[in-house]
Amino acid sequence: MALPLNYSFRNALVRWRSTIATVLGIALVVFVFVLLQSLAAGIEKSSGNTGDPRNIMVVRKGSTAESASLISRENFTEIRYFEEIARNEAGEPVISADVLVLVNLARRENNGEANVLLRGVTARGMELRPQVKLAAGRWFEPGQREIVVSAKLAKRFANFDIGDSFKTGSASFTVVGWLDGGGSAFDSECWLDADECRSTFERDMYSSFLIRAPDDAAAEKLMARIENDRRFKLKAEKEVEYYKKQTMTAAPIKWLGGFLAVMMSVGAVFAAMNTMYAAVGARTREIGTLRVLGFRRRAVVTALLIEGGFLAFLGGIIGCAVAFYWNGYTTATMGFETFSEIVFQFSVTPQLVAQGLVFAVVVGLIGTLFPAIRASRLPVIAALKSI
Amino acid sequence: MTIPTFILKNALRNKRRALLSVLSVAVSLFLLVTLQVALRELTNPISDEGSSLRIIVRNKVSLAQPLPARQLQVLERMPGVVAVSPFTFYGGLYKGDEKFTSFAQFAIDPQRALPLIDDAKVPKEQLAAWMADRTSCLVGKMTADRYGFKIGDRLQFTGQIYPCDLEFKIAGIYQGTADDRNVMFHQKYLDEALGNPGTVGTWWVRAASIEEAPLVTDRINKAFANTSAEVRAESERAFVLGFVSMWANIKTLIGGISIVVVFALILVTVSTMSMAIRERFRELAILKAIGFKRRELFVLILAESFGLAMLGAIIGAGGAWALFNNINIQQATNGLFLMFEVTPEMLGMAFAVAAALGVLSAVLPMINVARTSVVQGLKTLD
Repeated sequence: MALPLNYSFRNALVRWRSTIATVLGIALVVFVFVLLQSLAAGIEKSSGNTGDPRNIMVVRKGSTAESASLISRENFTEIRYFEEIARNEAGEPVISADVLVLVNLARRENNGEANVLLRGVTARGMELRPQVKLAAGRWFEPGQREIVVSAKLAKRFANFDIGDSFKTGSASFTVVGWLDGGGSAFDSECWLDADECRSTFERDMYSSFLIRAPDDAAAEKLMARIENDRRFKLKAEKEVEYYKKQTMTAAPIKWLGGFLAVMMSVGAVFAAMNTMYAAVGARTREIGTLRVLGFRRRAVVTALLIEGGFLAFLGGIIGCAVAFYWNGYTTATMGFETFSEIVFQFSVTPQLVAQGLVFAVVVGLIGTLFPAIRASRLPVIAALKSI
Repeated sequence: MTIPTFILKNALRNKRRALLSVLSVAVSLFLLVTLQVALRELTNPISDEGSSLRIIVRNKVSLAQPLPARQLQVLERMPGVVAVSPFTFYGGLYKGDEKFTSFAQFAIDPQRALPLIDDAKVPKEQLAAWMADRTSCLVGKMTADRYGFKIGDRLQFTGQIYPCDLEFKIAGIYQGTADDRNVMFHQKYLDEALGNPGTVGTWWVRAASIEEAPLVTDRINKAFANTSAEVRAESERAFVLGFVSMWANIKTLIGGISIVVVFALILVTVSTMSMAIRERFRELAILKAIGFKRRELFVLILAESFGLAMLGAIIGAGGAWALFNNINIQQATNGLFLMFEVTPEMLGMAFAVAAALGVLSAVLPMINVARTSVVQGLKTLD
């Protein structure tokens, strides 16, 4: 016969002090784990949320990111007339040759400096990225040294309010609008006219091409054609695939989260063991009584495991709940691929919550197992005699 | 029975608990020290005397924007400048690596850069061979050991930043710098591969003295102000610190998390250690009844929990110190961390935390003991 659940539950309440400490200890372990993993998940989510499945991204073979890619103008003139490329109403091929420039700018409140990614973009390029919307102000006017910055970056960098201007290289740009990338990697970019960008930063070459193919078959054909042409040395892949891979920044954060979780859980297991040993020690007589009443060893072990597991689960829920407070909060760091400030949101996903809870329960069970076994092995008569 | 043996016997009467308490203190302090070391290494880059003498000059727009090669003449003629060399981060992917190459490759001018790399120890004939052969390179000993490179090997790289793939012959292996991981090769070789674009990544300048270094930095910045390629000159140390600043919120976050980690473990440890005392309520009441004063009881308890906490500190913090001093951290972390040095301040802090732990876990239950009357205490069954 199993012991009633109420027994486990009420036992936990009797030693409320050590119970609270155990629960909070596990809660903090889970909190740290979930919070760090939610950062990594946020980076992955922002990358995974970028691009249009109909678009093809072309960069130089060997370069890890658009910003480190260089493509010659000759390549552009040749590729733009490929018949696999979709045409718009005016009959022009839907291809955009963008230029990306890294610019070192000051953060707000004298908080140091960081690199910001400027994208010189064409009218086609803007059509190809419908994810990007204007959040405030207006779009830039080519030739007027105007720029539209990401609304999320605007909160972080000095002189990024509409109407402000900042100097970089030989030019001074006026901020005329804020763009909203809708939680994509474009939230970490500033857009200006492509030709203006090339002339200001003396760029002879393009960084990337973004191409729309009319259908999947044409897309496959086009990618194969660009990749296999020996003159080009270019890499073509689906835009969404390209962005999905831009998650190198998440790797060390994930690693740190895992390392801390393991180390902290060792401490938490010790603590849970101590608590449960004490609980068992104090209840020696009671356990003896239970055994006399006919409860089996297995029932005693199960009851104690339920107690430990329940406490840990409670801790897990608290930890997740506290971590969830940060869900959606915007933060930033240096992206490894672009070498520029990338903005993303903490993202506490259901998987992370599940992982955190499982993790908590495992810690609780490991911590309880040995004390529970000890309790079940107490000789009944001796247990009854003890005070 | 003397008082010290009484304390010792009490501490060890439940050996399992004593062990678990000591171990959880040890784990928390080990973690605390490890986080401190890692954070220090990330935010406070290694520097030697040379790093305040050496100046990096980059394009004011950003590091990714090249500088015109013609600036060399201006820099060389500048007072206080001992040596100038191009310093171009090639950023190649080594043929044997899949996604990420853990060492950097820099294009420099070997002749001009000699005063800049004077801390690198290279056998004379190797240095001469490197200077003579345009397609050769010098490899840091750490990288050579890790990849098993030997002199005469050919290394192939795919250019991730520059649109050219390069192949070098290893002419020599250097060691003795703060970071023996890099590959150094000829800027001329890179220029040829790129079709002589007339640009360099950054300039590497050596100032005559530490006192003069800030003046030289100023002079360089002013000399190119309002030209088509404005520059930002800063000491090598400031340059590296600039990278740290780019980590932005992540840095603060990791710092904050270390505090949470320590807090969590302290909470749990205090609770378990207090438990040992709470259980002895009855006994303490008896001691009170036979005439021990509160203060004396407190000393007994304090000595016990303080001793356990200190033992934990010795194992945890001392263990971290012994471990990080004796393992090859560069190999263990694939070159992510270089020094991983446990400073005396960190050890001091760990022991201070342990001391606080010891006191805290004695004080909390003691307040209860003090409040309870002898009769009540004797009645306690828990």
